[in-house]
Amino acid sequence: MKEIFYRIFVRRREKYWWMNILVPLVSILLALIVGAIFIKSTGRSPLLAYKLLFNASGLIPGPYWRSSFAEMLLSASMFIATGLAFAIAAKGGLFSIGAEGQFIIGAVVAAYFGYAKPFAGLPAIIHIPLILIMVMLFGGSWGLIAGYLKAKRGIHEVIVTIMLNWIAFELIEGWLVPTGGPMAAKVETGVSGTPYISPTAKLPIILHNTRLNIGILIIIAVVYFVWFILYRTTFGYEVRAMGYTAIYNMEAPKVSGINTSKRIMQIMFLSGAIAALGGSFIVLGILSQYPPVFEGGYGFDGIAVALIGQNEPVGILLSGILIGALRTGATAVQIARIPKTFPAIIEGLIVAFIALQELVRYLLFKFLVKSKKSSSVTEGGVK
Amino acid sequence: MEALAVKNIIKQFPNVLANDNVTLTIEKGEIFALVGENGAGKSTLMKIVYGLYTSSSGEIYVFGKKEDIKTPEDSIKLKIGMVHQEFMLIPRFTVTENIVLGDEPRKGFLFDYRRAVKEVRELSDKFGLKIDPAEKVENLTVGVQQKVEILKILRRGAEILIFDEPTAVLTPEETQELFKTLNALKNDGKTIVFISHKLNEVMEIADRIGVMRRGRLQGVVNKKDTNEQELAKMMVGRDVVLELPKAEVKRGGEVFSVRDLSVKNLKGILGLKRVSFEVHSGEIVGIAGIEGNGQVELVNAILGFWKPVGGKISINGEEIKLITPYNMRTKGMAYITEDRKRRGLVLPFKARENVIMGQHTLYPFSNKGILNDREIDAFATKKLQEFDVRPPDIYSKAESFSGGNQQKLILAKEMSMKHNFLLASQPTRGLDIGATEFVYKMLVEEKKKGTGILLISLELTEIMGLSDRILVLYSGEIVGEVTPEETTEEELGLMMLGLKRKEKVVQ
Repeated sequence: MKEIFYRIFVRRREKYWWMNILVPLVSILLALIVGAIFIKSTGRSPLLAYKLLFNASGLIPGPYWRSSFAEMLLSASMFIATGLAFAIAAKGGLFSIGAEGQFIIGAVVAAYFGYAKPFAGLPAIIHIPLILIMVMLFGGSWGLIAGYLKAKRGIHEVIVTIMLNWIAFELIEGWLVPTGGPMAAKVETGVSGTPYISPTAKLPIILHNTRLNIGILIIIAVVYFVWFILYRTTFGYEVRAMGYTAIYNMEAPKVSGINTSKRIMQIMFLSGAIAALGGSFIVLGILSQYPPVFEGGYGFDGIAVALIGQNEPVGILLSGILIGALRTGATAVQIARIPKTFPAIIEGLIVAFIALQELVRYLLFKFLVKSKKSSSVTEGGVK
Repeated sequence: MEALAVKNIIKQFPNVLANDNVTLTIEKGEIFALVGENGAGKSTLMKIVYGLYTSSSGEIYVFGKKEDIKTPEDSIKLKIGMVHQEFMLIPRFTVTENIVLGDEPRKGFLFDYRRAVKEVRELSDKFGLKIDPAEKVENLTVGVQQKVEILKILRRGAEILIFDEPTAVLTPEETQELFKTLNALKNDGKTIVFISHKLNEVMEIADRIGVMRRGRLQGVVNKKDTNEQELAKMMVGRDVVLELPKAEVKRGGEVFSVRDLSVKNLKGILGLKRVSFEVHSGEIVGIAGIEGNGQVELVNAILGFWKPVGGKISINGEEIKLITPYNMRTKGMAYITEDRKRRGLVLPFKARENVIMGQHTLYPFSNKGILNDREIDAFATKKLQEFDVRPPDIYSKAESFSGGNQQKLILAKEMSMKHNFLLASQPTRGLDIGATEFVYKMLVEEKKKGTGILLISLELTEIMGLSDRILVLYSGEIVGEVTPEETTEEELGLMMLGLKRKEKVVQ
């Protein structure tokens, strides 16, 4: 553990490394302040709203903390997955917005291997890993399509991933899952959507009397895995080199003999696999089936999570928890006569301030670093 | 009468003191050259005057009055204009639109394009800068684009014109054209500050010369009282060997060859036409030629970026079927590029990460795909010392090093990889004297070790001084093969312009 902290914080050897932590924090604070102004301008009490929001979010201990804490981590695990999926592609210089499609692919594959006959009878210890492996293979392959087209044909990944999102959506909700579709439950069971998964496929609960399951532990392991890959391996070294030179067509890594097209395909596979893993959590941990109408959006929210987390694995872990907390506390703000979509405004504001981070950084630098320096200079002048 | 004076300017950047107490006076109507090595602080000083940076302390006087310049708007009001190294033009706009941008003539609320064209035409007639106001900037050569920049600042009424290394991007002909313009502007009473590190140009154009070294002004001299040697000594702080060291090395076997190589460039035109030559071990083969005569095509074909339409490339006698940088390197090629920022380095990477690029997969830098930080640090520390990279901080990002030190980083990286063929593409482009000297020494060292070197360069002195054989490239063909002993720069120049051909040397 000490080794990890040492590597994350000390090894950076940047003079103002704490800026990388302070800037997101200040952005969040600014977003909350601006959000308060919005509430105030409608004649409601911002203090009450925030109190309700955070008490119910699972971040602060209080009554019913246990269940809201569990719900917070439950949704965080999915946001972290899609956030990591975006970030790992972004680190390699690819702007993948395909997490949405990969997420629902993961969900539907998890549902299929959860209920389908030969697998449903297996013991949980084999069944769950099997499902997760299949989910990552399918999700990864979905991402690989975009990676292949980018690497071999030079087609921009943004266009391909957007189209793949729609293809995934139409395949699943237009053909596989609706009544009469290959994966739909039999009419006589009275279930709409896919059949329910076998109990052996459900992710084991880790906090008694809540829905919190091992998904969060799996995703924390994935966070560490992604960090390790990016910063400790030659693969990650090459990926980062590509990301930094993406505007120059990755010429420097290419000239050094790095096989960039192979790496692009590998990154996109990895990105798709992680997003799909998030999709499996929602089926194996919450819904137990692929419903006829799927409330999506996790893939796109992942972009926001990655932005707030600065594309760093540890940052995404924290920002995923934050977004999870905001979503968990969302319904509670209705007591203060504020629509439950209000936390989405906060999210948007955080992203906006993160997008303005160069300005935030500049101002912070001016106030915290320069003021110290100039005072020392004038002291020197007096002497 | 003094046009511009700076007093006790100090500029502190996070890690370096860029300007250390600089005091300087520039007279009205003179061409004042500011010379110094890369990172000596000459550009910084002028950027402070122009308002792009603010100084940590010090005063600026413009036409005798103390002024507080905080932004470029302030300096434009004070009739100071600056032509940057990288042009700030919009390629899709016409010359006129670019020149009037930011201060457009209006007819009511509308942009009065016709009047703008008229103004630009009058302006170009007045200063003798011939230009087509209706042409799009993207269709112009670099030299003409520079004229657009000059007209742009003249239109704002600039009296003091600062040129930041204006000749770095120009061909020799364009440089002469620029010098004519500068002299015309001077005769018109304008004051010109000319930042450069090319001493021959400074000696040609300047009236007075200020020399900077490591943030300090070393002195100001009149052109007629000095010479290139003395200036070089002031710049570097010691005597500089400007003539190139020759080494007699016995030529060995063939290490690299191309046969009938033809390459199409991005425009789809055959940029290299059936070129054949070979490089032997212990030999430097120089490729001379004016820029754009097939050098880019040759380099990109050797690297495998552009697929040749015909011909073979072999290393150590073995034909490379699938040409990729990886395959070429494993067969023994190293590559020094002129494009440090794009091709040579990953700028946001630290020095330690850059020096291992290309050999990061090898033991001891990594084992089974996992990086070994301790070995990388030890190796980087050793290499930075060996190649005299300053500052020798392995945790500094590549982008924070000066051009010369970036090139040393590239050398450190490339030379530590196993190779016996070195492709050196304009290895001294944009480097100052000290770094250039370093690169020359290194090339000669490599030659002594028995490496075969293909040196592509636009600098004739470099080609003449270092090469054992010279091939002249003109519009994609080799029009001559000579040795430096039997030829002159004049003859090479004629061949480069396609006016003369010369038979192969009989060996």
